[in-house]
Amino acid sequence: MVEPWQLYAAAASAAVIIGMYGVASKRNMLKTIIGIEIITSSVGLNFLALGSRGGTVDPLAQSIVVVSIAIGACVAAVALSIMINVFRHYGSLDLRKLRRLRW
Amino acid sequence: MEIPLLVQPLVILLSTAVLTPLIDIVGKQAKAEKIRDIFAIAGFLAAFYSLINLQSAISSSGRQTYILGTFGVPAGGVQLTADLLSVYMALIFCGIGLLVAIYSVRYMEVDSGLDKYYALLLTLVAGMIGVAFSGDFFNLYVFWEIMCISSYTLVSFRKYRWEPVEAGFKYLVMSTVGSLLALYAISLLYGYTGTVNLKALSTMISSGQISASPLSLYFAIGMIITGFGVTASMVPLHTWLPDAHPAAPSSISAMLSGVVIKTGVYAMCRSLFTIFSPASFDYGTVLMIFGILTMTVANLMALMQRDIKRLLAYSSIVNIGYILTGVGFGAYALTHYSSSPGLATPVAVFALMGAMFHILNHAVGKGLLFLCSGCFVHEAKTRDIPELEGIGRRMTWTGTSFSIGLLALAGVPPLSGFWSKLFIILAGFSLPEDSFMKFISILVVLNSVFAASYYLWLVQRIMLKEPKPKIAGAVEAPASMLLPIVILAAVTVVIGIWPGAIISLAESAGRVLLGG
Repeated sequence: MVEPWQLYAAAASAAVIIGMYGVASKRNMLKTIIGIEIITSSVGLNFLALGSRGGTVDPLAQSIVVVSIAIGACVAAVALSIMINVFRHYGSLDLRKLRRLRW
Repeated sequence: MEIPLLVQPLVILLSTAVLTPLIDIVGKQAKAEKIRDIFAIAGFLAAFYSLINLQSAISSSGRQTYILGTFGVPAGGVQLTADLLSVYMALIFCGIGLLVAIYSVRYMEVDSGLDKYYALLLTLVAGMIGVAFSGDFFNLYVFWEIMCISSYTLVSFRKYRWEPVEAGFKYLVMSTVGSLLALYAISLLYGYTGTVNLKALSTMISSGQISASPLSLYFAIGMIITGFGVTASMVPLHTWLPDAHPAAPSSISAMLSGVVIKTGVYAMCRSLFTIFSPASFDYGTVLMIFGILTMTVANLMALMQRDIKRLLAYSSIVNIGYILTGVGFGAYALTHYSSSPGLATPVAVFALMGAMFHILNHAVGKGLLFLCSGCFVHEAKTRDIPELEGIGRRMTWTGTSFSIGLLALAGVPPLSGFWSKLFIILAGFSLPEDSFMKFISILVVLNSVFAASYYLWLVQRIMLKEPKPKIAGAVEAPASMLLPIVILAAVTVVIGIWPGAIISLAESAGRVLLGG
């Protein structure tokens, strides 16, 4: 018998992989940022799934998720502002256009 | 109401950070803009002073704990805790932050938006001290992100140039994914145990009360090493560092290379050693192998650089390799000789002491080198080593301090870097029947010799060559930029000649990791 929290945890780990795929493969900066946001949300979902095994959701998990959402918003704000500056420099959001950094 | 000693540094730094932009508005109206710089430096000084008080309180009466709120099962809540290791790291963070703030007064004066610069510098240091003081993962993650967000913003501070913006984006993407992986590992550990408190996690996992298989715990260990390893710039995950550190203003490069990457190492060691006892989990081998890989790859890359700040950035990765290898020696000895603790524990203490000592030496040395290279770049307006040749002869104080820093990191005997490298290498050789450890330590020796070659080569080019006409007009940096440089150079020499006091501090910090 599969319990609901197991389904949620499985969905969360799948979403982490989807987010990583988005970060690694997409050429558009906005899509990269969306990938990061997907990982943030899915980690939060994993906390809630693992915290809800007793039938009710543990307040510790809830508070962690609320704070991690706030932190995710800050990271997104910084990422978007850097993205705007990249657009001002290059007129494009294509990551291939800004590979001027050497290895 | 009296603020507890433990919370004081955080309260001082964060409230100074909030007040700095307001002071800036007042200062602009009173035509005294420097008042904001002095205010920020005063904040750092006050925090440093309270950390020294905290250090003496902890060394006389032991670990201090402060709980901000109680909720959750067992022993949950937001817990700040400080022991000798936390306060050792916090003193390094705050000290380098103080010197960087003094340096920035003249170095950053051409830039605008300095109220935000100082506020971010203060939150950066507050975040790092918070990471060092965290007693639970929730807290650690929040302070970790405070630190990370401040450093992304500081890397791309000069947003009118293309390089900081690109490097900042690369850093942001890699580091955020890394911290989220670490948070995923934390969520798994929370799922197995129902708590995020480090001490409670450690008790539950070592007493075997949980149903998780060793394999799933190793999965969490792997995620923790990967996640924090991005900020620590372990080799497969290091690619952001050589871009981000040169692109940032030199004062921020000193901060990033000197202390921010150490926070990654600290978070990794603290969570691994506290939660997973090295006697029953074998992560020492992994840390040793990654340490060796890190220093070898970064050494080879460093030799190919023409950009002085890029070379220094690669040399930071090399030194992270030494620290990881030292920590790995400690964990490896405890894992593989757990049947004879009388043999393994002294080796582990010695190795961890070397690693902790190297954290201090590299923070001081690399801070010094980046501040000096900031002076050179400020005068010569170029980061190209062939064009900077001989600039040390025009800028005597900076040049001499730069050479001291390079010689210290090269491991030349009377300077500080020699001792910590010696301890790490000796720890590797102290179990003579173990051929794997011996093999790794031979590789460490080879790498240090290799690294010394390009440090000495850089000394020769900066100090001994005839200056080119383009930089013949270079003059010495102003006194307020020289002050932190000379202090750091003096610290390097003093630690090198009288290492005793620092060794005992580093040893007690290392013992904390082993639960003592």
